[in-house]
Amino acid sequence: MNQPQARWVIWFSLLIALFIYVLPLPFEWRWYRPEWPLLVLFYWGLALPHRVGIFSASLTGFALDMIHGTAVGAMAMGSVVAMLVILLNYQRIRQFDSILQSLTLGLLVSLALLVERWLHNLVGLGSPNLAFMSSVPLSMLLWPVIRNVLRAIRRYYEVE
Amino acid sequence: MVILCAVTLWTFQDNPRLSAIRELAVDTTAGIYAVGAAPAQAWDGVVEYLESRKALREENAQLRQANLVVEAQAQRLAAILAENTRYRALLNSTALIESEVMVAEIISVSADPARHLLVIDKGSRDGVRKGQPLLGAKGLMGQVVLVGAKTSRAMLMTDATHAVPVQVNRNGVRALVEGVGDIDRVIVRHVAATTDIQIGDQLVTSGLGGRFPPGYPVAEVVAIEGDPGAAFSTVIAQPIASLDRGRHVLLATISQPQNTVDP
Repeated sequence: MNQPQARWVIWFSLLIALFIYVLPLPFEWRWYRPEWPLLVLFYWGLALPHRVGIFSASLTGFALDMIHGTAVGAMAMGSVVAMLVILLNYQRIRQFDSILQSLTLGLLVSLALLVERWLHNLVGLGSPNLAFMSSVPLSMLLWPVIRNVLRAIRRYYEVE
Repeated sequence: MVILCAVTLWTFQDNPRLSAIRELAVDTTAGIYAVGAAPAQAWDGVVEYLESRKALREENAQLRQANLVVEAQAQRLAAILAENTRYRALLNSTALIESEVMVAEIISVSADPARHLLVIDKGSRDGVRKGQPLLGAKGLMGQVVLVGAKTSRAMLMTDATHAVPVQVNRNGVRALVEGVGDIDRVIVRHVAATTDIQIGDQLVTSGLGGRFPPGYPVAEVVAIEGDPGAAFSTVIAQPIASLDRGRHVLLATISQPQNTVDP
């Protein structure tokens, strides 16, 4: 296990993802907004599971909840659950080819969103249909791009 | 970690001890929204700057005319208001509640597509408080739900968790307008089939519940759905305020009624 190195890159990339996430969109297009912060978080979880884990996932989730301005803790729980799956399976997911990996990431994003929605329903913020899953296909399409960009960044800064 | 999530889920929204953290969270995230919205705003600024002098002069002329019309109407309104107050005094009923307004700018729309929340640039330092009604130029838009020091979040009335007590402007029938999560549609549930509500009726705030000042336009009835044999029908209405347009909103401050008379 190496010494931590250039950890600011991880936090900085997550912050940038949050900024991209809140870019204004036309009102009805908001359903298709890709889950940038989750994808970046999952990349770091896959690449450096000894650095980015449950704690980082919950921080990202809390940040997302506060940005949404709704029930704080729902997305935190969602991203923690998805991150658990990654931590238990990162060696397998790393070996997948690009398409299978995108599908897996789509599943993980859906898992986080489903847990979030479930908790929202629990505290009375229900939404009537499955429209909240509309962001998953675009997130899946974006995964190879995000993975390659972040991999280049990770190698350039030698993040450990 | 799971326990932490559960605890924040139940306490963060309401616990009075956490109000400082809540304010900080609202302001910090509003900062993130402001940065995210900056490119679009800069583009708007460029477009505005490049707008031709001719177009600006035309717009100016149009606005002058519109202003003249509005001022003329306001003169009549003052007279009618005075008359109304006298009649109300004769009837021994309460005086109309005077409300003042404060202009706020919309920073952004919340990223959660299931909620209809706006981020606005006025907070508790400007006197904003939770539950304050949010008005557009044409009618009611929603209310403030989270207050930070410098910014706050406002919920539109089309949010699926929002409801407004209203009455039909034509005959005073009372009802409750609920949001369903569509930006151009609100509904009134469980309307008795014999109730006198027609397509085209204007629904205005009734002031019941004490949260919204009475008399502000809310929605216009566009359809009435119901089986001929059913006891209740559902009224579908369209919000009058343009909820997804414009950069500025008004925050109404309700002052207490001046001369309350016991019934």
